[in-house]
Amino acid sequence: MHRGAKARNGHWNNSPRIFEMNEQRRTLNANLIKIGSIAAGLLLWHSLAVYAINDPSLLVSPIVVARAAYEMLFVTGELYPHLWASSWIFFYGFALSIVAGVPLGFLMALSSRLRDYVNPWMATLYTTPRIAFAPVLLLWFGIGGGSKVAIVFLGCVFPILINSYYGMRVVNREYVELARSFRLSSRALLVKILLPASVPFILAGIRLAIGRGLTGVAIAEWFGATEGLGYLVFFAGQTLNVPILFVGVAAFAVLGILGFELVRRFEIYLTPWRRQAQGG
Amino acid sequence: MRKPRGLTTANFNLPSSVFAQYKQIRFFSQPLRKDILRGCISVFAGLLIWEILARLLLENELLIPPPSSVLKSFWRLAVSGQLNKHFAATLLEFTYGFATATIVGIVVGYLMGMHRWFDEVMDPWIATLYSIPIITVVPLIIIWFGIGMVSKVIVVFKITAVAIILNTAAGIKNLDPIWLELAKSLRLSRWETTYKIRFPGALPYIITGMRLGVGRALLGVIVAELMAANAGLGYLLRDSSETWDSPKLFVTVTLLAVIGLVSFNLIKRLEQKIAPWRQGAEWTLE
Repeated sequence: MHRGAKARNGHWNNSPRIFEMNEQRRTLNANLIKIGSIAAGLLLWHSLAVYAINDPSLLVSPIVVARAAYEMLFVTGELYPHLWASSWIFFYGFALSIVAGVPLGFLMALSSRLRDYVNPWMATLYTTPRIAFAPVLLLWFGIGGGSKVAIVFLGCVFPILINSYYGMRVVNREYVELARSFRLSSRALLVKILLPASVPFILAGIRLAIGRGLTGVAIAEWFGATEGLGYLVFFAGQTLNVPILFVGVAAFAVLGILGFELVRRFEIYLTPWRRQAQGG
Repeated sequence: MRKPRGLTTANFNLPSSVFAQYKQIRFFSQPLRKDILRGCISVFAGLLIWEILARLLLENELLIPPPSSVLKSFWRLAVSGQLNKHFAATLLEFTYGFATATIVGIVVGYLMGMHRWFDEVMDPWIATLYSIPIITVVPLIIIWFGIGMVSKVIVVFKITAVAIILNTAAGIKNLDPIWLELAKSLRLSRWETTYKIRFPGALPYIITGMRLGVGRALLGVIVAELMAANAGLGYLLRDSSETWDSPKLFVTVTLLAVIGLVSFNLIKRLEQKIAPWRQGAEWTLE
């Protein structure tokens, strides 16, 4: 198949430079379509809000949302305390789930007995909708920080645990045989082969956990919080303050994308031997 | 090529316990009964310890009700028909949302996989919808569609549709070109190519999207019911936590756990049957 450019004399030019130019033009086109799509969508939203619905308690124009965001970020600065409160809950829950999830996953991979005993409980906890535990955790830990961190922890820990488990179990057999032929001790095998080989899996788990952790923050702050992004969203929902509601939702989206991208960068840096990140 | 005989690494008896698992991965030789037995022992022991501790240490049932009183509460709720009503409400909302999302998701995903421009038009919006935690848009959906059944159906729809769209598009795009050439050489019409080649080829991906959708949609419907509803398991959850009725709360939590487990395993079975080569690494344990 010809994928290069057809010159005026009828010959096909398949030089790499031509490929590069074609590729550049294609990505340029794609970006133009994307920008056009976003612009058209925003225009539709604006006209829907202003001309069709015209009720600020149902839907407001994106311009109003942008203005509210600008004010909350740069004029009154009232977004920062909420952002700060949510970040701490997220950070503690996330760190705790890494500290608990990775070693437990490794232990379960190395001992089939432990896995068999823990498995039914874990499967139950993992497949139950997390929100079901929120009232119970609230009952146990009170409405302070403890219950919130516990809810985030419960959301994050399973993807991390399951991925560390798989990372440890799916290590390429050849590496292990190589280690054996070099007569590595089991400790050296763990440190030099098993741990590095499971790093990409753990990072994939962490990437999955970010989204779940953010959902956990939102759930946690819905129950008896006085600040935080989740509180902001639900308070705005109850008082029909649609601009702030949109700002809160957008803040969650931005945090999710940012965290995802951060882990992806980290992944490329930490596992340079596999440039191709596997889909999560 | 002949396989080498004798002492090769493949049948070499690996000594350390660290290595024992690699044999299992190769042959799946681990007897199935043992792990089920251990699982049952673990569950029964856990429940027994829970019962004993709850009876010995706590005098009231507010914090951790013993399993026996949870069971009693379950029986009362089931007999009075309350459980049935709430369960049916949740199931109906879930089914409506899931069914519509499957249809719409497959159609939109198919179009995105077929036409590059459509993919590029939809991409920013799907990506935005995907990256917003569902919980945060629930208040907005309740403002728009009221506290009735419609808002819950919309929540389920949104969650499931995004997952199915993304996966269907990926399935259509990743179709092996050899199959398409086969369709061409058999002179299949456009319609036949779609439903004989493209759709079956993308089916494993679609099932994966559905599986991802199930868990999140269940969470979404419970959240929406918890926020504003007059029936459903989420409503029951809220009701029991506000009246400090811990046994009832635990009944609801247990019921949700069972629903989660059953739906997850059902769709996993379906996936293994339709796409046995896709062993999802990131979601399942065994």
